[in-house]
Amino acid sequence: MRAITLQDYKRRIGQVLAHIQEHLDGPLALDELAALACFSRYHFHRIFKGMVGESVKEYVRRLRLERAAGQLRRGSASVIEIALDAGYESHEAFTRSFKACFGAAPSQFRSIRRAQVDAVSSGVHYRPGKTIRHFKTLHRGGSMNVKIQQLKPMRVAFLRHVGPYGEVGATWDRLLTIMGKDGYLGGNTMLLGICHDDPEVTPPSKIRYDACVTVGDDFVPSGDIQVQTVSGGEYAMITHTGPYSNLGRTYAELLGQWVPRSGRELRDVPCFEVYLNDPQSTAPEDLLTDIYAPLQGQGRATRG
Amino acid sequence: MKTAEKVDLYREFSKEYAASRNPALVKVGPATYLSISGQGAPGSAAFTEAIGALYGVAFTVKMTRKFAGKRDYAVSKLEGLWPDFSSPIAMPDKSQWRWQIMIRTPRFVTQKEVAQAIAVQLKRGKSAEVQRVRLEPLEEGLCVQALHVGPYDNEGTTMAAMKSFAESEGLKLRGVHHDIYLSDPRRVAPAKLKTILRHPVERIAK
Repeated sequence: MRAITLQDYKRRIGQVLAHIQEHLDGPLALDELAALACFSRYHFHRIFKGMVGESVKEYVRRLRLERAAGQLRRGSASVIEIALDAGYESHEAFTRSFKACFGAAPSQFRSIRRAQVDAVSSGVHYRPGKTIRHFKTLHRGGSMNVKIQQLKPMRVAFLRHVGPYGEVGATWDRLLTIMGKDGYLGGNTMLLGICHDDPEVTPPSKIRYDACVTVGDDFVPSGDIQVQTVSGGEYAMITHTGPYSNLGRTYAELLGQWVPRSGRELRDVPCFEVYLNDPQSTAPEDLLTDIYAPLQGQGRATRG
Repeated sequence: MKTAEKVDLYREFSKEYAASRNPALVKVGPATYLSISGQGAPGSAAFTEAIGALYGVAFTVKMTRKFAGKRDYAVSKLEGLWPDFSSPIAMPDKSQWRWQIMIRTPRFVTQKEVAQAIAVQLKRGKSAEVQRVRLEPLEEGLCVQALHVGPYDNEGTTMAAMKSFAESEGLKLRGVHHDIYLSDPRRVAPAKLKTILRHPVERIAK
């Protein structure tokens, strides 16, 4: 089996970039885009963000706005028509987004001769009739300290939280109180978070997150505390230093910048994070979180 | 109903935890610790097992109280007493070192709560080491204190500066050397480890 290269990743993400430009009026659902490029739905949006420098949502919005800018300059369609075309439901919302992107309101923009398009790191802009073939990938260089670790399957007790990521604290509090009073927390207990949805993609009210603590075989689930096994195997691990609200950036760097250069593919199971210190007694900038991304086995004929 | 604010001993006694690289005097009031003592090199199996037992009891006490709606508090950082550090005889053989590792605990925690937590830990099949965890008072009084940045093995340099500072103040070291570990040695590079070093002092008799 040939090792997967950065060029493979670029080709696959390039297909998505081109597909989006050609289907700007379509639903552009994430699962569909992930399937198009043969990426696991768990990882696709982070790979995309890490490589392109924008989330799928941001990229779609920008291309729609760039198309709208062209329509404003060339055509005679009304601003509200163009706004609706770009997927906005109101003049105001369109004007706000447009101003943020071009520095001028749509009505002013009409009279400006040359479009002031901000440079984007991918170098990709809306070009009607042209197929997108190339884009620039972001790369943090060699500063990423990624370790490959072989993990054994881990049995964990967990409570599922459905709702905004910023509110998982209450779920943690309840899980730790119950597990703690029953004597399940000790020096070697690991605290894991499994995020089934990306806070940057899924509406806050629908994010599913499992707060987990490692347990032995003797643990019997009760009440709403359940048990699952985190799969073993190889993982790429990086330590994120700083507030939890910045985790998304480190995820994108690991999945979208390190992985494509590693010769490896990701497995179709979610990433997980391990919390190394207590957010209640640690300053946000000192918080340490290990991010684990599941890797597929390497070069085995059985996987060919 | 508004519950009482969570107790954070570092905030409550912030003056006792003030430390810079330059040694200074601090007055340390009476305190209560969950602690376990033993012998062996730091990082040895006995040492690691003792830390696991100490944390197991500490978390069980805290969470049992919390579950029952009693006053909540943050589990403090790990601290250690090193009696042999204080003797003038160098102890190159680390396996001979005696230690007492501790977690400062609010004074409202009772012996009964600790005994119950130990029983729960035993029921969970945890090591019998948990039975050696004690809830004990410690009052150090006037101390010389400094922040040590670097590997634990280099604490001697900071200790020497603390000793000469104490002498310049007309004081001498007494009792037991005390470490307060601010950094996690599994995560922080040795050169960046931060540890508060504390040593009780007394007036040199004229």
